Order: sequence, then C-alpha cells, then structure tokens
Amino acid sequence: MLRKEINELLTQTDSGKPMGDMFRQYWIPALLASELSEDDCPPTRVKLLGERLIAFRDSKGRYGLMDEFCAHRGVSLWFGRNEEDGLRCPYHGWKYDYTGQCIEVPSEPEESGFCEKIKLKGYPLIKVGDILWTHMGDKEDRPPEPIWEFATVPAAQTYSSKRWQECNWLQAMEGGIDSSHVSFLHSGGLKTDPLFRGAKGNKYNEADKKPVFEVVESDGGLHIGARRNAEDGHYYWRVTPWIMPSFTMVPPRGDHPMHGHFWIPIDDHNCWAWSFDYHPTRALSPEERQAMEDGYGVHNQYVSGTFRPLQNKDNDYLMDREAQKRGDSYSGIWGIAMQDASLQESMGPIVDRTKENLVSTDNGIIMARHRLRKAVVALRDKGVQPPGRTPEHQLVRSAARVLSPEEPFGEAMQDDLTARHGVKQTSV
Amino acid sequence: MPHDHDEMFEADNATRAGRGPVDHPTMLSSCAHAASAEEAKYRVQYPNSIVRTSRIFALDPPAAEAMYAVTEDPWENTHFLTLLADSTIASETPAQDIPLCHPDGTATNLNTELTDADVVVLLATRNSSEAAAEIIACECFKRKIMCAGLALRRASSPQSISQVVSSMRKFTRVLVVTEDDDYIPAMLTALRA
Repeated sequence: MLRKEINELLTQTDSGKPMGDMFRQYWIPALLASELSEDDCPPTRVKLLGERLIAFRDSKGRYGLMDEFCAHRGVSLWFGRNEEDGLRCPYHGWKYDYTGQCIEVPSEPEESGFCEKIKLKGYPLIKVGDILWTHMGDKEDRPPEPIWEFATVPAAQTYSSKRWQECNWLQAMEGGIDSSHVSFLHSGGLKTDPLFRGAKGNKYNEADKKPVFEVVESDGGLHIGARRNAEDGHYYWRVTPWIMPSFTMVPPRGDHPMHGHFWIPIDDHNCWAWSFDYHPTRALSPEERQAMEDGYGVHNQYVSGTFRPLQNKDNDYLMDREAQKRGDSYSGIWGIAMQDASLQESMGPIVDRTKENLVSTDNGIIMARHRLRKAVVALRDKGVQPPGRTPEHQLVRSAARVLSPEEPFGEAMQDDLTARHGVKQTSV
Repeated sequence: MPHDHDEMFEADNATRAGRGPVDHPTMLSSCAHAASAEEAKYRVQYPNSIVRTSRIFALDPPAAEAMYAVTEDPWENTHFLTLLADSTIASETPAQDIPLCHPDGTATNLNTELTDADVVVLLATRNSSEAAAEIIACECFKRKIMCAGLALRRASSPQSISQVVSSMRKFTRVLVVTEDDDYIPAMLTALRA
C-alpha cells in the first residue's frame, strides 16, 4: 500500500512536478539513433516528461531536440524543411538551428536582428551507443555523459529497441524489480525463447518456484537477489540491479546476451519501455540479432512503421486462451515483453496503490519507492542531487552465480555486479 | 505466434482468426476500454483485505531504539516487541521461554504473540541474538507465518552486518539490508501493519 499523496508524488512527471524535476537531473534515452539516420533527414516528434518536442539532425550531423511548435504561429515543426543547418517552418519560413535558436525570419529585415530575440526551448541531444540521449534539466546541473555498458560496447555487441507502453512509468518499472513474478508469468519462456533457453540456471528456476529474496541498498539504487536451491546445499543467486530512477537489468542466463530496460515517462499515462541486449565480450550472432528483431527475449513485434507493439490493448494483446490452457504461455499472451506490458496496462493509466496488498516478497518494490520518495523530497526541499547520475553508479551489471550458503551475495558477487571492460558476464 | 506481422494484425482485428474456438462473446478491444482512465472510476470501492496482525521483534538494543521511533504511530493490529535486557537465550531455549516485552515494559510470550499473526519482521543490527532469531523464525515456519528480516546498518561495521545477514538468511524468506531507519515505517505502511 502506498499513500495517495506519495503515489501522486512518484507518478507525476510533468515539468514543475517533483518527480518530473528528478527525471530532469539525468541523461535519459530519447530516440533510437536510427530514427535520425542521416544528415537533413525528416524530423521526428518526441514526447518526453509531458513535453511535446521535435528532434532533427542538421546538415552537419548535429542533433537537435526542441519545442515542437514554431514560435511564430504555433505550427508543428514536424512539417518543417530540414535544410542547410536548420529546421525551417513551412508556413512563413522561420528557421531554427539545432539549439532552438531562430536564425532566420524572412519577413523581417536581416539587419534588424529580430530572429536573435526568438529561441525555442531546446535540450542537448547526444549519441552514445545506438541511442540519442537528452538532459532536460538546467545546464549547470548537467551530469557526465552516460556510460552504461550496453551503450559503450562495440556496436556489433549490442541491440536496443523501444516500445510504447500505455501506462504510467512507475508501474512499468516496478515490473523490472519484481523478481517473484518470473516463476509464473514468464515460466513458458524459459523453455522456448531462443534468448533464454538452454541455460543450466533455468533448471534451478524450474525446480524451485519459491525463491527467497534479499534486498540490499547500493549507492545508485538497489541490488535485488533472488535465491533458489542448487546442488549440495548451495544457493543459485540471480541478482537484479536497479539504478535510480528507472534502469534495471535482468540476471543473465548461460552465455546468452544480457538484457535490461529503462522506463522513461512520455506523460503520466504513457511511457517508453527501452529494452537492450548486449554481450560484454563478443558480437551478437546473426541468429541472436534476428531473434531480437523478431520480438523474442525482452523485445517485441510492432505494428508496422510504428513503435506500438503488434499486440496491444486494441486487439486484446492477441490473447490465446488455448495456449494458456495448454501451458505454452502462462497468461495466454505471447512474448515476455508483452506478458508484462499487458498486465501492467490492465491496471489502468496510473494504478491506485492505496488498494494494494503487498507482501514481504514485495520488499524490492517497497524499497525502490522509498528510495525514490526520499530522493525526490531531498531534491525538492534541499536541492540534493539524486543517486544514479554519476559514472560509478552506472557501471553495473546483473549476475547469476551459485554460492555456498554462508556467502552474502553483496560481497561475494561485488565484482560480478560491476561492469568491467572486456570481462565476460557472470552467469549460470 | 505468426511472424507475418501485418497479415496477422489485419486478420486478427478483422476476424480474431487463428486463435482457437471462442466459447463466449468477447468485445473487441475490451482491454482498451477497460484500461482507460474513464473506466477506472467504476472500480468497486470496498476494503479488499482485513486488518493484518503484525509482530515486530527488535533483537538488540540499537534495533529497539530504531523501532521505538515509530511505535507511537497509528498502526493497526501491530505489536512492537523486544527481548528483555540481560536475557540469555540459547538455541535450545523453549519458544515459550523467550523473554519478550512490549515498549511499556509489560512482559509477554512468543506463543501469545504469534497466535493469529500474519506477518513477522525481525529487526537486527548485530549478530548477538541469533538464537532468538532462530527460535522465532522456526515458530513462524511451523505456524506458516511469513517471516521477514531487516538488517539495519546504522553504525555497524561491514563485518558485523555481514554476520547479521548470514545469520538471518537461514531463517527469513525475505531479507532487507538498509542503512535507513526510516525504512521501518515505510515497510510497515506498505505491508498494512
């Protein structure tokens, strides 16, 4: 259960709302780099944290992210002409550079300097890995550029996708740290999904449906360990890192690529679910990359030409009751990503957490909310910068390992849970 | 799941074909309608759970100090308990002989406290009461009561907290390690204590 005022505090992310201000302290994923694939390509609409924006890549390859609407008469610059180092409104020819600065007002004398007085609100947009990142906060509070491992390994070793999820960011993110649902909702996927199947660790998952949990605070967020019985009295540990505000990783299986997510608010009723796969030490195989493009693992299929999942609430997620009955899919929904999204969207745009009945195994979620609330309040009331902004907080990995009973995972797996250049993931 | 995206999408929206027999009428896009903000207004409003009976055991003086900071809050059916000072508890101590007391100093016993309990939380900052933790947790196990552990770092050394974690891990189904005493009321509120 979460009190109404705290639920509102954590779920409202528009400008001026405390949680919105907190998201504005981070570099957040804004677009796939492929959405702006070449200089002077068509601009793209972007909505983040309740703000309607336009992204474009100018003639010199510089990325711009700014207010979607022309300062003159409010025309959407999605209709703009991306030409000669700027985006020109097709209505009266006003032109803006990649920072949002107006550089041409054709109807005014050039010598008047009128255009210098016009500037659209703009945000930096940088490419790290195959993602374009933005920082929507004050320039003086801008953190170092992101160095998440999935975004900094060579391109051949990583794959990212994004999908539109039609609910508040927090209920989507909470799925990423809710380890206890995996034994039920995703139980079919361990046997069949090409990006999960075949790992030795899967047998422990299948044999022990009642994991024991340990939640340990880290500097950047949490480590959530799920412990299952292994051979000879040993424990099979799967450890999920959560870095504030919304980065999580799925513990690895065998030599399969590692997976993870960001959940980024579009507005209070919608979010982007970013999903990535990478291998720290080798290129993804053609088969793995194809599986990701086909929607396996943490990815999904799309309505053609969009980032909306093929299975969505307008087609009841292509629910297959027969598959549910056969046990092919625990919920009757195909694919791990949409198994999560379908249930999270069914809660409604913003779930009413005053009605919840949490249990002790939900302590990962309880602790994440607690840390978010404290960080939001500290930022709002004292200007304290939240955790998760600095490089050392971002050098994390998930890990899976068999340990003896007396070994605390936090100490025994400290190196395993740290991103290390050129070192393979720790997995079972 | 077919992989011919557009074909499947069109076919599904048009006829819901290829999904086996539909044995009851289903409204197309029922999920879209049901998940809307508008529909949220029609959720049945009623208390969907009864008050839980929670028992919080502070196993050492610093843990008790952290616990006392929240005992005056308006909890439901929650008892906050400590071990009597200077008590000696061994693993063979019978459960009913563990010397417990309420914040006002009145004595009680484990059998009374665990009767009808739904949730038990053990608070510890050090490894001085492993035997008590084991006895309480074993009683919880026998009675099928969920037992959670909260290891408070406070001023404890890493080695000390590591010992607490190792010790409590044997007995609890959930273990949380935090340096923030404020997590106690946050967790109890979330669990509807």
